[in-house]
Amino acid sequence: MGSVCIMKTGFWPSFRNPSLLAFNSSLSAGFNYENRFNIGQLGTRTAALTIPSGKASLGALYSHFGYSGFSRSMTALACGLKFGEKMSAGIQLDYFLEKTSGEYENHHSITFEAGLFFKPADNVSAAIHLFNPLPDSWRRSAMPAAIRAGAGIGLSRVLFAGAEAEMSTGGILIFRTGFEYEVKERLWLRAGFSSEGTSFTFGLGYLFKSVKIDLGFASHEKLGITSSASIIFKIK
Amino acid sequence: MTSVVLSRQIGTSCGPPDFLRVTFSKLYKRISATFLFVLITTFCNGQVVNIANEITEAAEMLFEDDPGQGSLEILFDQLHDLAENPVRINSAGESEIARLFFLNEFQVQSLAEYVRSSGNILSVYEIAAVPGFDRRSAELILPFIDLSPGDTRAADPVRFRSSLISNFIISPGEKEPADTGLPFRLLTKYRFTAGRLSGGFTTEKDKGEKMFDFLSGHLAWSGKGFMRKIIIGDISSSFGQGLCINTGFRTYLSPAAAAFPSSGNRIRPFTSTDENNFFRGAAVHLAYRKAEMILLASHNLIDAATAFSEDSSKLFTETFYKSGIHNTLSSIEKKDALAETSAAICSWYNARHIKAGICWSGSWFSLPVRADLSDPGSLYEFSGSRNDVVALHYSSMLGRILLYGELAMNDLNNYAMVQGAVLRPSDRLGVNVLLRNYSPGFTSFHGNGPGTSSSGSNEKGILGAFTFEAAKHLFISAGCDLSSYPWLRYRTGFPSSSRRTEIRIRYVPSENLSADLVCDMKYSMINGDGTTGLPEIDHILNRLIRGQLKYSPGDKFTLATRIDFRIVNPGRSTGMMMLQDLVYRPAGVPLSFWFRYCIFNTGGWDSRLYAWENDLLYSFSIPALSGRGSRSYIMAEWEIGKIAEMRVKYALTSIRDMYNIIEKDELKVQLRLRF
Repeated sequence: MGSVCIMKTGFWPSFRNPSLLAFNSSLSAGFNYENRFNIGQLGTRTAALTIPSGKASLGALYSHFGYSGFSRSMTALACGLKFGEKMSAGIQLDYFLEKTSGEYENHHSITFEAGLFFKPADNVSAAIHLFNPLPDSWRRSAMPAAIRAGAGIGLSRVLFAGAEAEMSTGGILIFRTGFEYEVKERLWLRAGFSSEGTSFTFGLGYLFKSVKIDLGFASHEKLGITSSASIIFKIK
Repeated sequence: MTSVVLSRQIGTSCGPPDFLRVTFSKLYKRISATFLFVLITTFCNGQVVNIANEITEAAEMLFEDDPGQGSLEILFDQLHDLAENPVRINSAGESEIARLFFLNEFQVQSLAEYVRSSGNILSVYEIAAVPGFDRRSAELILPFIDLSPGDTRAADPVRFRSSLISNFIISPGEKEPADTGLPFRLLTKYRFTAGRLSGGFTTEKDKGEKMFDFLSGHLAWSGKGFMRKIIIGDISSSFGQGLCINTGFRTYLSPAAAAFPSSGNRIRPFTSTDENNFFRGAAVHLAYRKAEMILLASHNLIDAATAFSEDSSKLFTETFYKSGIHNTLSSIEKKDALAETSAAICSWYNARHIKAGICWSGSWFSLPVRADLSDPGSLYEFSGSRNDVVALHYSSMLGRILLYGELAMNDLNNYAMVQGAVLRPSDRLGVNVLLRNYSPGFTSFHGNGPGTSSSGSNEKGILGAFTFEAAKHLFISAGCDLSSYPWLRYRTGFPSSSRRTEIRIRYVPSENLSADLVCDMKYSMINGDGTTGLPEIDHILNRLIRGQLKYSPGDKFTLATRIDFRIVNPGRSTGMMMLQDLVYRPAGVPLSFWFRYCIFNTGGWDSRLYAWENDLLYSFSIPALSGRGSRSYIMAEWEIGKIAEMRVKYALTSIRDMYNIIEKDELKVQLRLRF
């Protein structure tokens, strides 16, 4: 869906916008591998867990990017809370660790991100997400902040389309749009576009009983193809 | 989902942050302590009415991104006064409805006629159905009107009411070396009303000034018979379209405006902090049947730079100094350097379909003004000790057409003319046309007519716009303004022209959701850089696209997301901004919170962007965002029973350059007492 996900409920989107976590009603675990531009050193491995608990849901995530010369890991704890059926809010605490070989120092940072999700109409959803809205003077090294806002609409029972905008400090405005189409029961096709690197995306997902498998591909105008695969287990 | 979980760019570190000040954390702790105290000690007092929020939205609707700060102070002042003393539209009196100064005459007359013919308006939704109004304009007047039946005020007992507002604003670490005083701003306003009598004073100390250097006060009496109003002290006045007299806010020429408000024929107490544009003396408003008259006399000391003539025999006024800030030795020297004596006589007649009047105003200066004739740009500037302006004004409502205009002259050669028309061919379509012509030498020291030039002279232009309700909930407005400048202007060493085109689309599907899209294109000419002799001409094309979505999921929350994108040619400098607003009013406690987080990235000052902010009462904030960085603020309001109100705002701007991050913070505190 062109990475359009802050307003679409689901397992992985819950860690892009923690307010979506409130809509996870089952104990689930997921694993994801992403290979950027088919370069082994630019791989990201991610594991995550969601734990429902009444109106609130909790989530945990660990992600590792890089190789022995440079790596970046992220550990996150998230909580989403429902305010009725049409609104939820969430917050996620992030710990980042950057390791660099040689004489360079390792860097670690703690920050947070927060999100809001709401449904102005039955088939319309919208969301807002802020990442790291903290002054740089609070930490030793600078970390960019970001705002994302998006809206989506269920055009029919099987077709959902969405669009979102993102801007980060030092960056430019990025627009994304995409759709998800349920081709037949338990089989989804996805496609999208992102203005960042003029990227087109394509993906599909299939649900086997309590196991969901997703595959995704994203192009970049200069750097080539990024591919990713994930598996999600619904435990309870 | 194929979405990638971790794709954020964490960014490289920017070196040790020795350059950062530590004021933020200290202030944050203090603010946190204040909020904690507020939360602990607050008591339930019903829902807070956030009138200031509405005022900021109304001001933004009226002025958009025009940074004409002098006018804005007056605008905010007038809007707050209206909110404090709302207009009783069911009185059906045109003079009462005309207090909604941002309405045009078509709307004023239409609303008065509607009340006269249909009886009292019971709901604000009814206003949107009145000819000349739509949902947006009905929303605009909502915070400033009272729907009680027309005759209730007559039964009101005489009550003494007063209010005191005090603002304290400090920007830590921003003290300029040349400043003679402390780096904070302190403003105090006191107002009282007792039946028909009202009064008050305003004092201000600007940032960097040594002490309170501005004191303003007034006493006013309002009546209904022959004597309509008397004001002694500091006075604001306007007549017609403002060519001759207008010390209130100036009409902002939005190319897509449905209509423009007239300045109106009125006197009102001056309560703002513009230190150089008001009258100090006495004014009276008289009425006999359909004829009315304003008489005004004033003697005021104003700021100016003075110099001796070449033979040192005479002292002249070189330039007027209008900023009102006296924080350096040179600016202190300019304070009250010139005495200005003014007088005005304005009279008009209100016939059934036409209102017409004549006005004369004169200004005498204690030191003659001498224009710098060595500069060709100053060739038409005023020279001398006395200036007289005479103006004729009319407005006429012919069915669904409003015609209005004003012609002013300050000698036989220098004139200014404004002619406008507002047409409502159908309830869903409005057309607005404005023609203006200010000769290069036209001078009115207290005039401020509609136009794009800040000087109020040297401009010709025509503006045409329409507003159209294209479908249910969908409003489209568009317009174009063509201006030409026959003589030289600032940074423009040749006769020049400009063009501005704007399209606005507004979709309001429900009461709690609205979406706006604005496309704006400006063309202008300025001197080229890097050339000697006659300047080359740079043709500047400035394009802006703005999208905004507002949503209120319930009574407690209001959310707004906005995106701006600007391109300025030549040079293709781009500016982009994304901001998120959140307003939260918790139920059961008299508190309100505002939060904004904004990220911007502009290629330079030319592509800067403006974002209006909620601020203290009687105050405003429209920071110009330029460079790469973020701007955020948090503001809290605490309604302390019915007698007091406290606001605290903390704002932080963070700018990144190649090597450094510069943070500027600002703390504002306001206390309002009503007794």
